[in-house]
Amino acid sequence: MCLKHSRGAAEPVPPFTSLFLDRPADREATVGTVNTVLGAVEASQLGVTLLSEALMYVLPGAEYAFDIRIDRAEVFDRLAARLAEFKAAGGGTIVDATGMFQGRDLRLYEALSRATGVHIVATSGQGPENMLGGYFLTPQTNPPTPWPAQKFAEMFGREVNEGMVVPRLERRAPAGMICTAVSLEGMTATDGSLVRGAARAGATYGVPVFIRCGSDALAELQLAIEESMRPDRVVIAGLDRRDAVAKGWPLAVAQAGACVGIDHVGSTDPFYVSDAERVALVLDLIGAGHADRIVLSSSATGVAFGEPGNDLPFATVLTTFVPMLEQAGVSRDLIDQILITNPARLLSVGGEA
Amino acid sequence: MTRVNTVLGTISAHELGFVAIHEHIGYGMPGSELDSRWWKTPEERYDETVPKLRQFHENAKPWGAATFVDATGICNGRDVDYYKSLSAKTEVHIVASTGFVGGDTALPFFERASVEYLTDQFVHEIDVGIGTSGAKAGIIKVGVSRGFKMKELDKRIYRAAARASKVTGAPIFTHLAVDCEPALAIFAEEGLPCHRVLFGHADDGVSQGRINEQAILAAGGRIGFDTFGYDLELPDPPFWGRPRQERLDHLLRYLQGGLVDQVLVSADANCSPLGWPGVKGHTVNYLFEQLIPDLHGAGIDDATIDRIFAQLAAEFLTLQPISAQ
Ligand SMILES: [Zn+2]
Repeated sequence: MCLKHSRGAAEPVPPFTSLFLDRPADREATVGTVNTVLGAVEASQLGVTLLSEALMYVLPGAEYAFDIRIDRAEVFDRLAARLAEFKAAGGGTIVDATGMFQGRDLRLYEALSRATGVHIVATSGQGPENMLGGYFLTPQTNPPTPWPAQKFAEMFGREVNEGMVVPRLERRAPAGMICTAVSLEGMTATDGSLVRGAARAGATYGVPVFIRCGSDALAELQLAIEESMRPDRVVIAGLDRRDAVAKGWPLAVAQAGACVGIDHVGSTDPFYVSDAERVALVLDLIGAGHADRIVLSSSATGVAFGEPGNDLPFATVLTTFVPMLEQAGVSRDLIDQILITNPARLLSVGGEA
Repeated sequence: MTRVNTVLGTISAHELGFVAIHEHIGYGMPGSELDSRWWKTPEERYDETVPKLRQFHENAKPWGAATFVDATGICNGRDVDYYKSLSAKTEVHIVASTGFVGGDTALPFFERASVEYLTDQFVHEIDVGIGTSGAKAGIIKVGVSRGFKMKELDKRIYRAAARASKVTGAPIFTHLAVDCEPALAIFAEEGLPCHRVLFGHADDGVSQGRINEQAILAAGGRIGFDTFGYDLELPDPPFWGRPRQERLDHLLRYLQGGLVDQVLVSADANCSPLGWPGVKGHTVNYLFEQLIPDLHGAGIDDATIDRIFAQLAAEFLTLQPISAQ
């Protein structure tokens, strides 16, 4: 369908995968709506949207640590303040891109969205391999064969089709995106199954797939495309990593028709390029005709348990980066396209805002 | 004075009665909670669990009380507040465990933790309490990851468990007795006498031929015949199952060979499994319904049965801190 922007990407094969997954449910969510924690919302209502943030981040297992106490009232107040600050800066929607196993708390996010008026999109998926529980890696079978792509596809797909899980209790709203990640040292077999599973579910149920890239962004994108995922429905994230920029991945990913996640705005970690270099990267992509493939976010951690978060406000993109883009001559229209139109198109179930 | 930590408080070892030393209220691999195929409502969970515990309580009446040692450990669905309610309503003493079933069930936060941190975690759960439940763990779970070989993380957990055992006096039980040499070396290095360690699942089907029982016995360790009931005669036995008579004969060799004091016996049954189908019909009550009659049939007297299920188990569970030299 929407390959008009792609250059050099293979036309994906038709989505045969739906034969192996449950049929998409007939729900009010139709083309042009986005799955938020409070239900389907018109894509045109999202406003400025950050695709890669973390509301509550919990390193798996930290919830059982003897010296970590998660005070829900305190967490709520802190996140509500950060969301209010984002809204005051002109923000509309936060995507919690932590997936299903790193602190996602749906009831908390629903209450936060109601209290602040900020749309919150929660996500399914997990990864890379070393973030998974033993259930997926060493199942109680002989031999303990790790989960294949199809089982991940079924689990992630049900989170979109039937609702996201509150573990062992119930399903709530459908997931708005599927997030996974590939190990930095290189794709493990299970990383590959995660990417394929996420893509298979994304292709069947119409939500975008967000891949934090590992050691070979294009090969990882290729896996998703092989699963019938339209490249324009894929975000390759972490492309503002210093090594990713040095290897020319951002432009190559855009040329393949996928979205370029420049998602560490405001970070001063030397693993990533600086904000000034990010501006140059955005200008390069715009210059090459890929403004419609740029996604900006800061991967801020609203609250973090188990490992240090960053202290970035969700407003960082709006308050510090947008002025830098304006200074560099990027037009208001292009900025709106990057911050509003691109994420709205991505998050629209089915893909057409 | 003897002290044993149960989920409802610390009690005298004289109150324990009949002890099932390695059981599960419900076990699930970490992450299984995300897979809704295993979910059961709270009504179903209580419905599956309470009758088994009540029957256990009834069966144990000749011993005065029933004690259920839950071997589930951190990250595997351990739910201490639930255990407290079960214990309060059924009168079965429940001993909860700290520690991990194995390195491959320790989630990333603990996988990254040092021996010192893991020690602190275990000591806290035994001396202060588990989470906000107020309940103290009474035993430390460690184990060997899949593949019959101890991994680095397994060894880190064993070392932390040894240190926590010395400080708190809580015993250790292991998931699997295979590849015991590194474990015995760690306990020796840490100065923990091996009578504080139950090397579990020495009787399961897949471990046979892979366990150095002589090394464990020579070190003074205890041998766990604690998967009784996972019989290959079942309609759908698990892969670790074993022919019933073969397992019984294995235990009888110990009992008739003068090694009663180095064994402990249990069923490793799940009252209501969390992340796997479980094994239909297998409950802690196998010990009374099948095993004890089998032991009687083989000529084992009541004194020996009492010794295993009451005296030795109570002695093992009694908190025995070892002061630093
Ligand atoms: Zn067990």
